[in-house]
Amino acid sequence: MTKAITKEALTGLVAELTAAGVRVIAPAKAADGGTDYRAIFTLADAILGGEMPRRSLRAVFQPPTEAVFGWERKGTGIELTPAAAASQPQVVLGARPCDAAGVNVLDKVMGWDYKDDMWFARREATTIISLACAEMAPTCFCDKIGLSADATVGADVLLRPAGEGYTAEALTAKGEAFVSGHARWFSDEPVTADPAPPSREAFPLDKIEEWLEGHFEDALWADLGLRCLGCGACTSICPTCHCFDIVDETDGTAAGTRRRNWDTCQTGLFTVHTSGHNPRADQASRCRQRILHKFEIYPKRFEAVLCTGCGRCVQACPAGVIVPEILDSIAQRANGGAA
Amino acid sequence: MVAFVCNWCTYTGADLAGTSRLTMAPNVRIVRLPCSGRIDPLMVLKAFERGADGVIVSGCHPGDCHYTSGNLHARRRFAIFHDLLQFFGFEEDRLTFSWVSASEGLKWREIVDGAVERVRALGPFEGFRYDRLSHGEPLEIPISTVAPAPAPAGGQA
Amino acid sequence: MKELQELSRSLLADGQVNVVIGWEQGPTGARPVFVTKPEDADRLIFDQRCVHNLAAYLSPRRPNVGKLGKAAIVAKPCDAKAVAGLIRESQIKREDVVVIGVRCGGVLADPASKEALSAETVSERCPGCESREPTLADHVLGDMPPPPPGERRRDARIDELEAMPPAERWAFWQAEFERCVRCNACRQVCPLCTCDRCVTEKTQPLWIESSAHSRGVFAWQLTRAQHHAGRCADCGECDRVCPVDIPLGLLNREVARIVERRFGFEMTDDPAAAEPIGAFRMEDEQEFIR
Repeated sequence: MTKAITKEALTGLVAELTAAGVRVIAPAKAADGGTDYRAIFTLADAILGGEMPRRSLRAVFQPPTEAVFGWERKGTGIELTPAAAASQPQVVLGARPCDAAGVNVLDKVMGWDYKDDMWFARREATTIISLACAEMAPTCFCDKIGLSADATVGADVLLRPAGEGYTAEALTAKGEAFVSGHARWFSDEPVTADPAPPSREAFPLDKIEEWLEGHFEDALWADLGLRCLGCGACTSICPTCHCFDIVDETDGTAAGTRRRNWDTCQTGLFTVHTSGHNPRADQASRCRQRILHKFEIYPKRFEAVLCTGCGRCVQACPAGVIVPEILDSIAQRANGGAA
Repeated sequence: MVAFVCNWCTYTGADLAGTSRLTMAPNVRIVRLPCSGRIDPLMVLKAFERGADGVIVSGCHPGDCHYTSGNLHARRRFAIFHDLLQFFGFEEDRLTFSWVSASEGLKWREIVDGAVERVRALGPFEGFRYDRLSHGEPLEIPISTVAPAPAPAGGQA
Repeated sequence: MKELQELSRSLLADGQVNVVIGWEQGPTGARPVFVTKPEDADRLIFDQRCVHNLAAYLSPRRPNVGKLGKAAIVAKPCDAKAVAGLIRESQIKREDVVVIGVRCGGVLADPASKEALSAETVSERCPGCESREPTLADHVLGDMPPPPPGERRRDARIDELEAMPPAERWAFWQAEFERCVRCNACRQVCPLCTCDRCVTEKTQPLWIESSAHSRGVFAWQLTRAQHHAGRCADCGECDRVCPVDIPLGLLNREVARIVERRFGFEMTDDPAAAEPIGAFRMEDEQEFIR
């Protein structure tokens, strides 16, 4: 079901949503002038189709820190106060297609052997309205991961730029319900979307997976481990990285909060044992872990690579470690070429 | 309020204030440390994190240190700490640095009364309360509002 | 550039060093490279995109690089200050590193930039920098360049902040810190963050909460700045790496101003210079102590 929506109608829609108590999250300017996904009250605050928000959409569903429960010592026992399970209804407007795809990929691991209530409470309360990208940045490689500038994965509704307005395609039941629930803002007038930027040939992801399986020990890892500073900036802006740490923070001696905080596989602390032994003792093994998890381990288990080609890691890396370059080099090796 | 004091001068000075039956504001809990050189800025921060509204840091006068120069090393650290807190906009009057010797029971009373008075004028410290025991929403999504919205409970100092 | 390549080639060929840590042209811009063979010395470049401080690779926290053997490092004047810091703090020995100093008139903020060096494109830390040429160097290469273009924007910003009422300043930093995700990348990339175990990793007692809430972020940022007083080389790597663009350069600069104002200390690339922390003077100012 493809409909059309004008900028004015979108402005009205956002006003209607926020007035009804729905939180609207969109790329917007932060205090320092950078772009982040933030709660907005009027469409004028949103920067649709602007530069890539610094943090990925993952932060909306798995915040950098969140309370799991509070605890308080009462007599000889301990009383737990669970964190609020339900989430305020919210709409993400103007999500990057790569970000929406990232959330979709993460659903698999979050709902696998254990259903992560905190993740899914937010997922269920949220409608994602993606906006197809009008152009690709030099760091973008979603097309090479098998997505595209107008990828639909993970979106409930996909907007495509069409002249001054947008076409709106509902993609899921939630998306259909959203469009029909706010039908007065959408029109049935046939509108043609602007052409999306062309996609390049994708990486041979199957071959890469196969190569990775057989090359746990390879000179490539030692090379990567030299340049990589282990800062983990790549993991903190990644739309698909999802590792977390559990910490207890006390308020005095009798009460505290158990929190879930983002963690990164790129520092030694991630795997160090109580004994002091560290199975991933050097940066080479940590770099290998990042590539393996994204392009071998995850696809094996969930049939999807843990990367959407958003290119944030390419921008973020202070040392010039570039994932598409690594994939290219692995693809060459997999094809028997010298890298 | 919390006071981090050195064992040799200020603690003894506070003891003198007590044995001299001086009356002073009862708001201060003393934490005794071997030397002002042992007082880490993180201890001060921890006190504020745990709900202190004001902190006193006190040791021996320069030249009086039981360990010769612990207080002089501490003084450099405190100077940087003090200036940095200023740069962050932390309310200066919440943190009192002083030198109080073992014979200065009266000065200890002045320091305590003065610090309590200054902090009382500021009211409770709420700079961090924003996060305390908030489970789930809304703080945990640190994507805040662009337009002025109802302030989260606690607010910023 | 020829000079650099030839020197590196001969250092490697003569066996004086096992690796030259320098910059190369990567797919998106300049980036660090580790040249171990004389025939690869042609990969080395030095130009205004070489913003990275390679001293981080000399730190004992990067055993991967250390395992390659004795290193030569290409260093701008600010990088040489970090190398001096490592020597001063006994992290490396002077004789274990060959410093190839390069004369520098400022670098671009972005190593992938294709633009010329100007007041707009220059790295924020460069304007006002008076070091053109490292003194801690076994070789010094390049022509003497003019000073970096542009004004000391950072100092102007600090003056602005200092003129604000404290509550406004607090609000400014809270808004900046609100974005912090506590990824600790600022620590990881710092050449002088050499602790085997960082205070923010201590959990018993939990000195610095690892959460990205206002308590955890404030404690971390304050401690990071405090621990760098009189040690920071102002290479700006923490500022550059921050994925959410917290202006850490302002903090570093403020700390440098504090130690200069109070203790008359300025960071140099002289490994023998005494650091202000760990030293004292009887007559140090104590106007803030009652």
